Amino acid sequence: MLEISQLDIYYGDLQALWDISIAVEDGSIVTLVGSNGAGKSSIMKAISGQLKPKNGNIIFDNQNLNRLPPHRIVDLGICLVPEGRRLFPGMSILENLEVGASRKSARKNKNVTLSWIYEMFPLLKERASQLAGTLSGGEQQMLAIGRALMSNPKLLLIDEMSLGLSPIVVQELSRIIQEINKSRKITVLLVEQDVQLALSLSDKGYIIENGRIVGYGNSSELLCSPQVKSVYLGMEMDRTSQ
Amino acid sequence: MADAFQVLLIGVVVGALYGLVALGFGLIMRIMKFINIAQGSFIILGGFICYWLVTIWHFDPYLSIPIVMLAMFIVGLILYRLLFSPLLKYPQAEMRLDKSLLITFGVVWILDNLEILIWTPNSRSVIPSYGYGTINIFGASLSYTGIIGLGLAILAAAVLHIILTRTYFGKHVRAATEDAVAAGLSGVNVQRTYLISCGIAVALSGLAGTVIVTSYSVTPGGGMSWLLTAMVVVTLAGSDNMNFMIPAGIILGVIQSASTLFISPAYQQPIALIIFLIIILFRPQGLFSKRVRVH
Repeated sequence: MLEISQLDIYYGDLQALWDISIAVEDGSIVTLVGSNGAGKSSIMKAISGQLKPKNGNIIFDNQNLNRLPPHRIVDLGICLVPEGRRLFPGMSILENLEVGASRKSARKNKNVTLSWIYEMFPLLKERASQLAGTLSGGEQQMLAIGRALMSNPKLLLIDEMSLGLSPIVVQELSRIIQEINKSRKITVLLVEQDVQLALSLSDKGYIIENGRIVGYGNSSELLCSPQVKSVYLGMEMDRTSQ
Repeated sequence: MADAFQVLLIGVVVGALYGLVALGFGLIMRIMKFINIAQGSFIILGGFICYWLVTIWHFDPYLSIPIVMLAMFIVGLILYRLLFSPLLKYPQAEMRLDKSLLITFGVVWILDNLEILIWTPNSRSVIPSYGYGTINIFGASLSYTGIIGLGLAILAAAVLHIILTRTYFGKHVRAATEDAVAAGLSGVNVQRTYLISCGIAVALSGLAGTVIVTSYSVTPGGGMSWLLTAMVVVTLAGSDNMNFMIPAGIILGVIQSASTLFISPAYQQPIALIIFLIIILFRPQGLFSKRVRVH
């Protein structure tokens, strides 16, 4: 579905990503894990059209995304839930969701999608006319996910979903992500700092360090790998088990 | 008493026009974070287009409004494509603001001289034959052109409000205003939204020009004083709420017209600037804006 090959990304003269190759298969949940500043969000920005790659290709359903502006990428069926939510604080919840349905094909299904999202997040329905800026962090994240889903994406990108949220909210959001993946067949690419959460949620994972991919594999295997355990989960390795 | 009422009425009519003048200026400032110094010159240009339509093709000045607005809309599109869209590569709003000041100041230079070249430096007006009539309201008289101008200003503000709150385009405009990056990520074509808003803003200056040429007069180079007025009104209203442009304009208009009665007509412009300073010093967010914003 999404095929990133040998991607190099620069911020000005500064290289941020080296030789990134990622494959996201249809219907799967894939996660990019790594520490702060590793370059995970830069990958998301490249896919969503905010950063133009210097080398390499981003191919989605046989379409090259390299030169497309963000709204054209949304038209193709990729929508990003950006880091820090980035809602429109002075607009109501309903209006935020409506802006999410800007994609032409999404406008026709607007009401159907809206009722589905309200079903998933009943709170958004209750407060539909409230300004988005008055919501709490968790509610804002729900709205941000809802806004992205309004575009009927085939591929949903979520950048730092759990950042600053309480464990209960994170659990709820994780459940919803798995649900939309299963029931709606929406492919999900997730960027997370919480490695345990991300790997337990996903089918496949990539580990990113200093702008390079240093490991990938099935999430369940990654969770058990000594490398991940020692570096990200802070577990001391038992020497005899190696 | 009758005097005071007359002054109030004149203030309201003039003030609504001030509000209309500020509408287009404020729209560009709010949406794109550009200061369009040339807005005054566009108003004059709109007035001259109306003048041509009336004198050459014998249009009724008010019926020429759609044509003037359409022509100015196209001028707005050209302005955006040619001069504003290259500025968007600057990521920070402050840098865009600086550059837009410089660029539109150049536009003022070109437009003002072009207007002198085409229409000579004389002032022109096209008051229609029925425009000299007045009606009496409680002993105060009000000209037809004044009433029509008042009506047009309120209508323009109302239509703009409906566009911004009820239509898809309007919601896109507001989203792009609040966070252009997030709007793009939600599928909004931000560039096109800017383009059309710029067209609308310049078309509004065409409407203002028509009102001015039918009730006052237009002179090449006379745009600067309208621009100053627009700046004062936008400061009064607070640039983030388009709904308050007309009320803010009316407040300024009434104060100015009261000052002609109680002080001297010569002090109109200084009084506007004094109000501007007071607002900047004590209520920089504008009279009507709420500071509190939860993020």
